[in-house]
Amino acid sequence: MYKDNFLIIWVVVVGLTVVMFEADAQSKAADFTLRFKNTANGNSLVLLDSTYKNTFGESYQVTKLKYYISNIHLTGKQSNYKSKEVFLLNAAGSDSATFQLKPGIYTELRFMLGVDSILNCSGAQDGALDPLNGMFWTWNSGYVYFKMEGYSTSSTADLQRIEHHIGGYRGINKADRQIELTLKEPIVIKDGDTKAIFIQVDLDKYWQGKSDIKIAENALIMFPGELAKKSADNFSGMFSIISIK
Amino acid sequence: MLKLKVIISFLLFAAVSLFIIAAGKKDRDDIYKTTPLEFKIPKGWPKPTVDFFKKNKLTEEGFLLGKKIFYDSRLSKDGEVSCAGCHQPFGAFATFDHDLSHGVSNSFTTRNAPALMNLAWMIDFHWDGGVNHLEIQPLGPLTAPNEMGITLDSALMILKADSAYYRMFNNAFGNPAITSQRMLKALAQFTGSLITSNSKYDRVMNGLDTFSNFEKKGYVHFKNNCASCHKEPLFTDNSFRNNGMLLNRFKDIGRQRITALSSDSLKFKVPSLRNIQLTFPYMHDGSIFSVPQVIDHYIAKTNAPQIGLDSVLRKPIVLNKLQKNELIYFLYTLTDTVFTKNKRFAPDGPVYFKH
Repeated sequence: MYKDNFLIIWVVVVGLTVVMFEADAQSKAADFTLRFKNTANGNSLVLLDSTYKNTFGESYQVTKLKYYISNIHLTGKQSNYKSKEVFLLNAAGSDSATFQLKPGIYTELRFMLGVDSILNCSGAQDGALDPLNGMFWTWNSGYVYFKMEGYSTSSTADLQRIEHHIGGYRGINKADRQIELTLKEPIVIKDGDTKAIFIQVDLDKYWQGKSDIKIAENALIMFPGELAKKSADNFSGMFSIISIK
Repeated sequence: MLKLKVIISFLLFAAVSLFIIAAGKKDRDDIYKTTPLEFKIPKGWPKPTVDFFKKNKLTEEGFLLGKKIFYDSRLSKDGEVSCAGCHQPFGAFATFDHDLSHGVSNSFTTRNAPALMNLAWMIDFHWDGGVNHLEIQPLGPLTAPNEMGITLDSALMILKADSAYYRMFNNAFGNPAITSQRMLKALAQFTGSLITSNSKYDRVMNGLDTFSNFEKKGYVHFKNNCASCHKEPLFTDNSFRNNGMLLNRFKDIGRQRITALSSDSLKFKVPSLRNIQLTFPYMHDGSIFSVPQVIDHYIAKTNAPQIGLDSVLRKPIVLNKLQKNELIYFLYTLTDTVFTKNKRFAPDGPVYFKH
């Protein structure tokens, strides 16, 4: 008798579970990825070993490249995705930001290069914002939004270093920048899709965009202020869509 | 009949599920239960501007963990410098009798260690206000090469190598994961609890004691000459001001380094005068040794204002020798030995102070 009952219970439980999973699958969101491909001089960026030239003819090597992407926003006529999640992209680590996107048609993509100002002054954080990631200033609180380090024969700094630590969340020194990317055609997300947008991050445009950033003049940019803002003004020009797959 | 069986099965299933859930909950409660601590605002004090404990709930377990980390000298490059090395309980959590604090391998810093007291009422931290939150303040001294000189990774590795820490992180946070965020939150629970509110001044304000005649006169001098910046009851208004200290040998420009504004040149944070008797020497670089000399500094500066001197210091301070002594007697009523000798803030065992 007991055996009978248990058998029935399990049949019911398993049955319900299956039904629930089925129901879940009906509205399953897509795994959506922004994949960032760092380039210099038209080639994929190679840390340490490759030498590149900026538009001013200054040659340089990159040893470190990390930046924060946050506030990703995808919109369409009837679809809207807005997230406060923060991703740390690292040329020697993660190259992508993955999140769940509901089925729909999306026509606009924008995100922030940087970290929301409120997160810069809310105490100890973890995950992408853990100070262990080496992207937090200990003497002048706030996150480094974009960190590029390397060497250049044009650098006048010690050991011919380049250290560009771009950040700043207070008032006039704000260095976060909105990046808006043009989608040539709408992104159509269907149930359970897996899609990725491949985005080029072109270092050539970092040196020359709205502002000229010459290594000979500014090998070290290490705190919020005018110089950091000039660098930040070039961020938006660095990003463009390569393909959607 | 089948219908009945199904219904019975459902009921049975529900009952078993409830039992399992209840049992599971009980198990978890046995392992993880924190003891909430109340953050008490002393009588007559304002509410803190920032509620540091809103998202970092004060608990006995978090406080004790923070205290252990605070006194742990292993968290430094040479294994000899703890937070308490420069923030000594007997010196009101400043460095007793030192102009500049010492870091690892006999290095010197360029500033006088500020007293850790009533931090929950502060807004910005450090002499230049460069640090914007109590929780992240320790990142500075922990990693600075002339302070504790250790990387955050190494600090966490040291904590992870000690089973006592596993237990304490578990007690405070519900599982034994040792992360930078938890370490910093625990430290903030300890440092934010360092409240000094039991000086003679406080007793007098609460009607439990009376000032001597000397102290009473000194209080009047204080109110006439010092109180606008050293605002009661915290004895600071948390502002940054140029108080006439000249550019020192370290070329320390103070707040300007943080804001990049030339108008902030040589501005430093107004420190609280509580426990002033214990926090000598004074000023951001500890270059003035005694309270009488500090008073002389203000008399001199306010009577011959230099460029950049704060506007509130442009009214000459005039005090004769007797009045200066009266003022000093009042300032010494701000000494709180209940605070400095509080066993709750003291290390659990003997601690070696290098300096």
